[in-house]
Amino acid sequence: MRVAAEAKEPARESALVSTEWLEKNLDAPKLRLVEVSVEPGQYERGHIPGAQNVVWHSDLVETVTRDIAGPEKFATLLRRLGIDRDTTIVLYGDNNNWFAAWGAWVLAQYGLVDNVKLLDGGRKKWEAEKRPLDTRTPEVKASTFQAAQPSAGLRARFADVLAVARKEREEQILDIRSPDEFSGKVIAPAGVQELAIRAGHIPGSVNVPWAKAVNPDGTIKSTAELKALYAAAGIDGSKPIITSCRIGERSSHSWFVLSRILGYPVRNYDGSWTEYGNAVGVPVVNLAGTVWGGK
Amino acid sequence: MALGLGIALGAQRVATEPGGTRLGLSLVLGALFGFVLQRARFCFFCLWRDFLDTRDPRGMLGILTALAAGLVGYALVLGAWMPDPSGTRLPPDAHIGPVGPVLVLAGLAFGAGMAVSGSCISAHLYRLGEGSPTAPFALLGTMLGFGLGFATWNPLYLASVSAAPVLWLPRHLGYAGALAAGLAALAGLAWLLHRLGRVPADTAAAGAPLTAIFVARWPTWIGGLAVGAIATASYLRVAPLGVTAEIGGRTRQAAAQFGLLPERLEGLDTFRGCATAVRDALLTPNGLFVGGLVLAALAAALAAGQFRPAWPSGAQAARGVIGGLLLGWGAMTGLGCSVGTLLSGIMAGAVSGWVFGLAMFGGATATLLAGRRLRLLP
Repeated sequence: MRVAAEAKEPARESALVSTEWLEKNLDAPKLRLVEVSVEPGQYERGHIPGAQNVVWHSDLVETVTRDIAGPEKFATLLRRLGIDRDTTIVLYGDNNNWFAAWGAWVLAQYGLVDNVKLLDGGRKKWEAEKRPLDTRTPEVKASTFQAAQPSAGLRARFADVLAVARKEREEQILDIRSPDEFSGKVIAPAGVQELAIRAGHIPGSVNVPWAKAVNPDGTIKSTAELKALYAAAGIDGSKPIITSCRIGERSSHSWFVLSRILGYPVRNYDGSWTEYGNAVGVPVVNLAGTVWGGK
Repeated sequence: MALGLGIALGAQRVATEPGGTRLGLSLVLGALFGFVLQRARFCFFCLWRDFLDTRDPRGMLGILTALAAGLVGYALVLGAWMPDPSGTRLPPDAHIGPVGPVLVLAGLAFGAGMAVSGSCISAHLYRLGEGSPTAPFALLGTMLGFGLGFATWNPLYLASVSAAPVLWLPRHLGYAGALAAGLAALAGLAWLLHRLGRVPADTAAAGAPLTAIFVARWPTWIGGLAVGAIATASYLRVAPLGVTAEIGGRTRQAAAQFGLLPERLEGLDTFRGCATAVRDALLTPNGLFVGGLVLAALAAALAAGQFRPAWPSGAQAARGVIGGLLLGWGAMTGLGCSVGTLLSGIMAGAVSGWVFGLAMFGGATATLLAGRRLRLLP
């Protein structure tokens, strides 16, 4: 039995909660449930009872400096959510927990790691199992959360990936964009605003699209399947890994899977292709031959 | 009957697909909206023309009723979603747009388009269900107008829209203040209409309930109450009312395919409202809403004996296309039409809704008067 075998895996158990477990524990006093969805209005039109809303593009970022929320903003948010350092935080959202995982990456930089969990399957599974939704917003007692400067250990910077591209450093870059973005056929998925000057990928990076880590029902694949998936691309945890995408948000889903479930050493590169592909004087690989958009 | 059943079955079918609840609801709400529009003849232009020509204020009072009912409904929804409106955030996907000269221009063009083609986009959609000879041309013109809107968007955005403020009344007045101010403004307009208008002696017999609902024309205020209720339900469960997102989105897709679109539409996708994001799904909530609207209007027209298809005359076709062109350009540039920007916007407390509305009626009046003087419009 896969489920039974996985239930004994401490890493997986620490990182994920099942929909069944969550429904039983919705009223637990030290639990805070937070929705981080991509689509506006998703939370407002119905959320898991007791869940609070976090808007990814304004609550968790410093919009002007293109950075994660600074200590002051972060602490204000967590106080409003009633979260202390000993609170169990369950994150979930639409689109297979894409931005919920990004939220987990931001929380982890402020030292909230082991008590942060994703709802396995997110909104998709919760709704498919016909579990209840609520439109009322919970009112929670504010906490006194304090935040120091975020730790830099989970975040890769431009200089780090450039060192890997120039083979000056022994790290692996996992690019989780679509194969067409990776090869350089397109610069970005249709309809997105943030673009790079060039198409292609960072030399030495390998491509495993982020959604491959997820089953059709939205749950994260079994540990054995995940290991095999990444091993096929040469990633087995023996070397440090950097996850990258276009703006660093889809890649935090793979960061979560690799670091929290497989226990590999991983940093997320949130500058990603919009930073790297626009930089002057750096090497890129463009399999499609579309550099500069012309041939 | 068969059409109503068909819509219900269609909604049931769509809603059972994974993630299809919103699609099913959209179809049902669109059908309700189409039924109400047809029964109450809820047409912004004809109701305004009634007032201009005969001083009959009843239709315009019906529009004010819709706005008042929607204001109250939206206040309930918004208060639950965003208990404190004073921050920097706007309510999710509400039609609150930038207020500036481009919005006024869009409203004027839209109003002119209504006068030339005989009604606004939503009314052309329900008239399509009635077999109107003008409506197909007006809708074709609307698509062309959207294309023209895309072509002119970038310079307008850079010259003005990008710097125009997005004004949301509850942020400045609180929900209670915004509601009170909105209702007071509507009451003032109602008083003015009543003062200037002349209610004709009512000759219509009440009739049996079924006749009153399915055959006789509804008083516009009843339609208005229903529109307010449908708008609230729609915003709560699916999206604010709007009829141009699908038309605009599909036009954008087609124009992009033929290489007729500018490389980038600056800032367009950052606005809410009847946004024209390119659609990749076959069925979208707004597409089903519009489809339901047209089908239910057809069903209502059939039941009432008002389905009267006719061959279009050259004048009707020309007026449809030219008016539609103006309607489409105005709706694209104003980020919505008389339903999205005016109705949904005002209900949500957007200043853009009021500005668009005033410009729209101004444009319609000026065009109608000028067109009649030149003997171009009836």
